[in-house]
Amino acid sequence: MGSRLHPAAIAVYAVDALRQGAFPLLVILAVSVFGGEFDAQAALRAAGFALMGTVVAALAGAFRWATTRYSFGGGETVRLRTGALSVKEVEIPFARVQAVDVEQGPIQRLFGVYKVEVQTGGGGQGGEVVLGAVDEREVAHLNELLRRGAPDALEAADSLPAPERRLTARRLALAAATSGQLGVLLPVAAGAAQLGQQLFEDPIEGERTLIGALPEGVLAWVLVAAAVLALAWLLAALGTVVGFGGFAVRRERDELRIRRGLLQRRQATLRVARVRAVRVVESLPRQALGLAALRVEVIGHAKEQADAQTLFPLLRRDEIEPFLRELLPEMADALDGLAPPPKRALRRYVLPPLAATALLGAAAALALSSPWPLLVAPLGAPYGVLGYRAAGWRLRDGRIAIRSRRLACSTVLAPAAGRESHELAQTALQRRARLADVAVAFGKGTIARIRHLDADDARGLWAAIGPR
Amino acid sequence: MSAIPEPAQRLAPHARWAWRATWSIGCCVALVAIALARDALPAPWETIALALALVALVVGTPLVPELRWRRWRWEVREHEIDLQRGILVVRRTLIPMARVQHVETERGVIGQALGLSTVEIHTAAGSHEIPLLRDGDAGAIRSRIAELARTDTDEIARTDAGEPARMDAGEPAGTDDG
Repeated sequence: MGSRLHPAAIAVYAVDALRQGAFPLLVILAVSVFGGEFDAQAALRAAGFALMGTVVAALAGAFRWATTRYSFGGGETVRLRTGALSVKEVEIPFARVQAVDVEQGPIQRLFGVYKVEVQTGGGGQGGEVVLGAVDEREVAHLNELLRRGAPDALEAADSLPAPERRLTARRLALAAATSGQLGVLLPVAAGAAQLGQQLFEDPIEGERTLIGALPEGVLAWVLVAAAVLALAWLLAALGTVVGFGGFAVRRERDELRIRRGLLQRRQATLRVARVRAVRVVESLPRQALGLAALRVEVIGHAKEQADAQTLFPLLRRDEIEPFLRELLPEMADALDGLAPPPKRALRRYVLPPLAATALLGAAAALALSSPWPLLVAPLGAPYGVLGYRAAGWRLRDGRIAIRSRRLACSTVLAPAAGRESHELAQTALQRRARLADVAVAFGKGTIARIRHLDADDARGLWAAIGPR
Repeated sequence: MSAIPEPAQRLAPHARWAWRATWSIGCCVALVAIALARDALPAPWETIALALALVALVVGTPLVPELRWRRWRWEVREHEIDLQRGILVVRRTLIPMARVQHVETERGVIGQALGLSTVEIHTAAGSHEIPLLRDGDAGAIRSRIAELARTDTDEIARTDAGEPARMDAGEPAGTDDG
């Protein structure tokens, strides 16, 4: 049945095999090099092993390519059959196909072919069918078949223009400059922890290295801190440029096509019917400049975390509504004009974080017997005030808008009918103050929650979202 | 509370015994742990921790399961599942039938002894449960939810190509592939 993959798949599979066999090979290599004296003979032997490994991998790749067949079954079923000794056959009805990811890794790029992952709603890691190397014509053919199989494909819509937006170089630079995330500080913290461990295990030697490495004086400490922050900022910026370089999103009838990536081009196709909510994320530096990122909550997409979550990396705040009206009118709504929680809720936003930072500061000050950590103590107050100012909600024409802030301000826009569940919650303290929380879940990554609404408003909102 | 009538169904009466068992076991474990760690704690804290755990055991065991049982209400309707529970935080959750991906029943060790099962309802955003129902009731409710969810699809679920509310009664999702 079916046809073979593009011969470039031999290289793809060979590299796969090499990667899987890399660790044992490295061990063999290390043993052969370090086991005996290191001399010309050992080096030769190592090179021999490496060559052998490559040949074996190439043979394995060729075998896998020769025993792999796939077909699109005339738009009925995607079939994949691999192996000769143990045969694996996968069949996916087109109606069950949730997403097709087209990707070009370094090897695929070399041969001008694409890697295609066909995903169903079952949702494991990666696609249920992975085609390592197919040429452009086959990708186009598959997309054509998918479009034909789509339940509400409107032939009349063919003549409609397909709106597309690209990220300009200037915007990419701006996105990179404002992308600072605390996550990139982790490697730095890990390094510090390792240094600490060294000190713990071998105090004398460790202390010597530590003291040698420690900066002297306050100025030096400040310089080190500044250098670490600058490095973290640079890393984050680099990550943004690599990940979002050449970002473009295009609406084609009931699908969104998202292309991105500077080194590794990625293309993801999203069915609009599976988009349940849009999140407008305004991080602190971006909010100061009136900018925001657009994200989508997509149901049943295995790789959504990486690929399909960003609808657009950076927009000016006032561009968001027109952008949505053009590309995703199903979710479009105004960002502003949300109703805030009542004034009496303010202290409930402020007190818990203030208590947390005060406790943390006091505990740290006691533990280190220094007054400096007390500087952390009042930070909870502005955090709480910002949280209160950000909070807002609206339910209009069946569209929900809920805004909240942790560090970044996040506004969820979605049709109420698309929710997975919704909840009304009231603590004993809130009951006395006639306040309540509402949370609307749109997916694993998007739960729109607004705290401390007037209890009647909260009940009204909860009931209005309603059973249907 | 709102336009939607409050849920009326309760959990099995001897759910209270299951909770009493887990609560008292938890308190005993805490007591033992505190007693073992007594040297690690500074002077007044050890006594305070022991006292707290003892109070939790003596006062909490009769009180907490009773209150929790009284507050737990649920209802399975044609188009939604309605849950209301909580002592300090009262939560009311509505899950549209069209969003239910699959339903499971599960029975722990204590449930085994008392003949009680927990119904777990999975949606794409996470799972919800109706705990500690009589075994027979739990099975019936699982089948009922499965049946209702199979037939209830709204406009969003229908346009969701190929995912007409993936349903199994009691089996993990994905077994109906291929």
